[in-house]
Amino acid sequence: MLHRRMLLAVAGIAALIAPWEAAAQKTIKVGYPMILSGPGALFGEPALKGAQMYVDEINAAGGVLGRKFELIPRDTKGNADEAVRVSRELILKDNVDFLVGTLTSAEGPAVSTIAKENKIVFIAPIPKTDQLTAKANLHPYVFRSASNTTIEGRTAAEIVAKWGLKKIATISPDYAYGQDVTKAFVEHLKKIKPDTEIVDQQWPKLGEADYTPFINAQMAKKPDAVFSSLWGGHFLTFAKQAKPLGYFDAVKYNFIGAGEAASIESARTMGADYPVGIWGNSYDVNNWPGGPPAHKTYIDKLRTYTKQENPSSWPVTGYVAMQFLAEAIKKAGSTDSDKVAKALTGLSIDTPIGKQTLREKDHQANRGQFWGKTVNDPKLGHATMQEVLYIDPAPFMD
Amino acid sequence: MTRPLINRIPWTLIVFLVLLPVPFLGSRFYTFVATDIVILSLFATSLNLLLGTTGLVTFGHAAYFSIGAYTTALLMKNLGFPFLPSWIAGGLMAAGFALVFGFFCVRLTKIYFAMLTLAFAQIVWAICFKWNDVTGGEQGLPNVPYPGLDWMEVLPLIGDLRVSDKFYYVALALVALCYAALRRITLSPFGRVLTVIRDNPERAQFIGVNVRLYELAAFMVSGAFAGLSGALFGIFNRGVFPDFAFWTKSAEPLIMTILGGMAHFWGPAVGAAALILLNQQITSYTEYWPFVLGGVLIVLLFVFPGGIVGTLTKLGRRIGGRDA
Amino acid sequence: MEPSFLFGQFLGGLTAAMFLFLIASGLSLIFGVLRVLNFAHGSFYMLGAYLAFQFVQWVGPRTEGFWLAALGAACGIAVLGGLVERLLLRHLYGREELYQLLFTYALVLILGDVAKITWGTGQLSVSRPPSLEGSLNLLGVIVPHYNLFIILLGPTIALIFWFVLQRTSVGRIVRAAAQDREMLSSLGANVGMVYTGMFMVGSFLAGLGGALVTPTQSIVPGMDVAIIVEAFIVVVIGGLGSFWGTFLGALIFGQVLSFGILIFPRFSIFAVSALMAVILIVRPWGLLGRPLR
Repeated sequence: MLHRRMLLAVAGIAALIAPWEAAAQKTIKVGYPMILSGPGALFGEPALKGAQMYVDEINAAGGVLGRKFELIPRDTKGNADEAVRVSRELILKDNVDFLVGTLTSAEGPAVSTIAKENKIVFIAPIPKTDQLTAKANLHPYVFRSASNTTIEGRTAAEIVAKWGLKKIATISPDYAYGQDVTKAFVEHLKKIKPDTEIVDQQWPKLGEADYTPFINAQMAKKPDAVFSSLWGGHFLTFAKQAKPLGYFDAVKYNFIGAGEAASIESARTMGADYPVGIWGNSYDVNNWPGGPPAHKTYIDKLRTYTKQENPSSWPVTGYVAMQFLAEAIKKAGSTDSDKVAKALTGLSIDTPIGKQTLREKDHQANRGQFWGKTVNDPKLGHATMQEVLYIDPAPFMD
Repeated sequence: MTRPLINRIPWTLIVFLVLLPVPFLGSRFYTFVATDIVILSLFATSLNLLLGTTGLVTFGHAAYFSIGAYTTALLMKNLGFPFLPSWIAGGLMAAGFALVFGFFCVRLTKIYFAMLTLAFAQIVWAICFKWNDVTGGEQGLPNVPYPGLDWMEVLPLIGDLRVSDKFYYVALALVALCYAALRRITLSPFGRVLTVIRDNPERAQFIGVNVRLYELAAFMVSGAFAGLSGALFGIFNRGVFPDFAFWTKSAEPLIMTILGGMAHFWGPAVGAAALILLNQQITSYTEYWPFVLGGVLIVLLFVFPGGIVGTLTKLGRRIGGRDA
Repeated sequence: MEPSFLFGQFLGGLTAAMFLFLIASGLSLIFGVLRVLNFAHGSFYMLGAYLAFQFVQWVGPRTEGFWLAALGAACGIAVLGGLVERLLLRHLYGREELYQLLFTYALVLILGDVAKITWGTGQLSVSRPPSLEGSLNLLGVIVPHYNLFIILLGPTIALIFWFVLQRTSVGRIVRAAAQDREMLSSLGANVGMVYTGMFMVGSFLAGLGGALVTPTQSIVPGMDVAIIVEAFIVVVIGGLGSFWGTFLGALIFGQVLSFGILIFPRFSIFAVSALMAVILIVRPWGLLGRPLR
C-alpha cells in the first residue's frame, strides 16, 4: 500500500508541476531571493521595489532581445539556509535563467555556491563581505554590483581620520560582514593615522535584542569616537537602547555608522528616537547636489513609482543590479548564462549613480556610498544627511 | 509469535526499487524533492525509534542531526577527507553526543525528559552559532563538497547523469541500508524490550530490565541515525548552517512522524514524503506555509492522531474486517 | 575597573532580567499548574508587542496613552490565551505530552503568520512614554527612567504573585492544582476554571512583557521564537514550575549576559547555555525546583 501511495504522490506532483515548465519559455525569468521578513526586511523590501521598477521600465520598452523580464521574488528570511533553499527551488522548480539578490553576507556566499554548481549567473546587489568575490570563492558566474567591506571600511576610516581623535572603539555584529568591514576600517585607519589607539571592540551577535551590556562596557573604555556596522533593524534597536544611556553624548556624537545607518529607511522608522548628529552612510540619497543628471531623473521616476515624496534609498541596489543584467544580455545577444557571464565581466554601464564597471579581476563594481553627518530635517520630520559626501571608491580598492 | 504477512514483505527493498527511476523522470526538480524526502525521512524514522518504539518524547533531535552535518562537512571541506569515512564519523560523533546528553536525559521522564533534550539541543545551537573559527558561526559552512563520484562513470545509465542525480543514488542506497538496520533493530529482542518499556515501564523494571540503560541505548542509536541523516543533508543542501540545530528544526521530524503515524515503522517516512510534497505545493501558492502547516497539525492532533498510516490501517481494517 | 561601571553593568543586567522575568514567570506558572510547556508563550509575547504598537497608533504616539495601550495589549493577549485554552488545549489534557507540545508549536506557526499578515514584515517602533523619557544619574551611572521602572516592576509583580499564592484562597487552590490534580477536584474547586484562569494570567504576563519591551526594541517577526528560548532557559535554570526559581533564574541570566561579555567577549550567549548545562547535570530540576520525575 505504501509504495502505491508514493507513486501516486510522485505522479501527482508531476502532473501539477509539468504545465508550468512548458509555459516558461517566453519571458526571461530572474529569481530574486531577498529578505522580505524580519529585521532585514527594512532594506530588502525597497531593494526588491527597485528591481521591479527597472523590470517594469524595460518591459514597457519592449524588453530585451524581444523578451520580457519576469521577476520571481522569494523570502530568504535573512538566513543562509533558507536562502540556499529558495535559490535551488527557483532554479529547479521555477527554472529561472538568472539569480539576482540576497542581502546579508551569510546569504551571499551560500547562494554563490548554488549559482556555481548550476552554472547560472548570480548578481549580488547588497552583500558586502569581501569573501564573496575573494580569490578562493570567485567563479565565472558570481558578480557584485554592491560596494564591499574593503571600500566601506576604508572610506569610513578616511572620514574618521579627519576628526583628529585618538581613542577609537568599534561595535559590530559578529559575523562575516561585521568582522570584515571592521577589519578594513581598523587597518586603514591605523595606516593613515598611526597614532590611533583601538580601545575597545564589541561583538554582539547578529540579531541581538539587548545591547545594554555592550553599550556600558564600551562607554567604560571612554573612547573618543566609535565605528559601528550594526545595520537595518539592528541599528534601530541598538540606538534606542544607547541613546537614553547617554552613549552618544559620551562620545560627543563622534559616531560613524556603516551598514546604512543614515539611510532614509532607518531615519524614518526611528523618528525622534534617532541619534541626530552622528555620521552614517547610505546607498542613495534623494538630494545629491553634485550628482549626475541621470540621478535626478531616476529619483523623479522613483517618486512616481513609489508614490512617495521621499522614497527609500535601497531601490537603487536592485535597480542597478537588474540594469547590469539587462545590459549584459543585450551585449551577449543571448540569455545563455555562460555568454552573459562573459559579457558581464568588465562591463561598464551608465547608472543613476554614474558609470559603474564590474572589474574583470574580481567581478566587483566600483560602487561607493554616500556618507554624511545627520541633522534634523523639520520638513521631513526625521533625520537626514546634512551634506552628502560621495567618496569615489577607486583609490580604496585592492 | 508469528510475524504478520505485512512484516515479512521486504518493504525497504521495494521502496528502494520504486525510487530508483526518479532521475529519469525528466526534471532535476524531482530528483531534488526525492533526495530531500529520502534524507529527511531517515531523520524522522530515527526519531521514531525513541518516540514510537520506546515512548520517549524528545524535543532536541536537531542536535544530533546538526552534529552529524557539521562533523561530516568539516571533515570533507576543511580536512579533505573522503566521503564515506566522513559520513560514518558524522554518525559516530552524533552517537557520542547522544550518549553523553542521553545519560542525563533518561534520568527524567515525560515532559521533563522532553525539556532536557530541548535544553541540550539549544546548547549545541549556541556552539554552532558562535564558534566562528570552527563552525563558521552565523554564516555556517557554505560550499560543502559533493563526494567524489567519478567511480560511478563506469556504471551503465547512471554514469552520464548530473552530480546531483548521482548523489541521489548515493543517498538512496545509504538511507536504504540505514532503514534495513533500523528495521532489524526494531524487530530484534532489543527492540521488543523497548516496546515493553514504552507500554509499561514499571513492568519492564519488574521483569528485570534496566530501563534507563535500554533507554540510553535507544537514545544513542537514534542519535546516530539522526547524525547520518544530517551528514547527508549537509551535502545535499550544499552547506551546513546553525539553523540546523535551532529548536524549531527539532519540531520537523516530530511533525513528520505524527503526520505519517508513529505507531508504524514506515509512518515517519510517509509523513516526511507527505510533508515535503505538501510544502512544495503550498509554497507555490502562498508564502504563508507556516500558517497552513499549523492548521494541518491541529487537525491531525485533534482528528487523526494516528496519522496517515494509522488512519489508513484503521480504514483498511474496517473495510477488510481483519488485520490488513 | 571602576565601581560605577560595574554598577552600570549590573543595572543593565537587572533590566534585562526583569523583562525576562515577566515573560518567564508566565511560562513557569502555566507549566507549574497545567504541566504544559507552552511554546506559544513567545508568540503571545510578540503579539503583545504588536498589539501595543497598534493601540499606541490609536491613542497617539509619544503620549501617556502608552500605558493604556500596554495594559490593553496585555488584556487582549489574556483573552486570546483564555480562548485557546478553553476551545482547544483543554481537549488534549488527557493525551500524551507530545500532543500538547505539538499543539502549542502549531500555535507558534499560526500566530507568527497572523502577525505577518496583520502588521507586515517590516519593523515597527514605539517610543518611550514622555513621563519616562529622561534619565537620572545614580552613583555616577546614567539610568534611563524607563529602565528603572522595569527594574521596579519585576519585584512588584513577583510580590503580588507571592501574596496571592500564599495568602489567599485562590492561591491555595492554585498551589493545590500544582501539587495534585485529583486532590483539587475533591476539594470541590472547579478545576477547569482554575486552568483557564492560570492560562489567562500566564498569557497576560507574556502580553505585558511584549508590550513593555517595545520602547527598547524594534518589533519584528521572529521575536517569538527567539524569546521563548531565553524564557525557557530561565525557567530551566530556576526550576520548573518554581515561581521564585524563575525570579532567580532571570536574575542569573541577566547578570551572566551582562558580565559574561567582559570575561568571554564573544561567547556570552554560550555562557548562558553552558550555565544551563551545568545546572541540568547537577540539579536537573533547577536551582529552586523540587526533584520530580
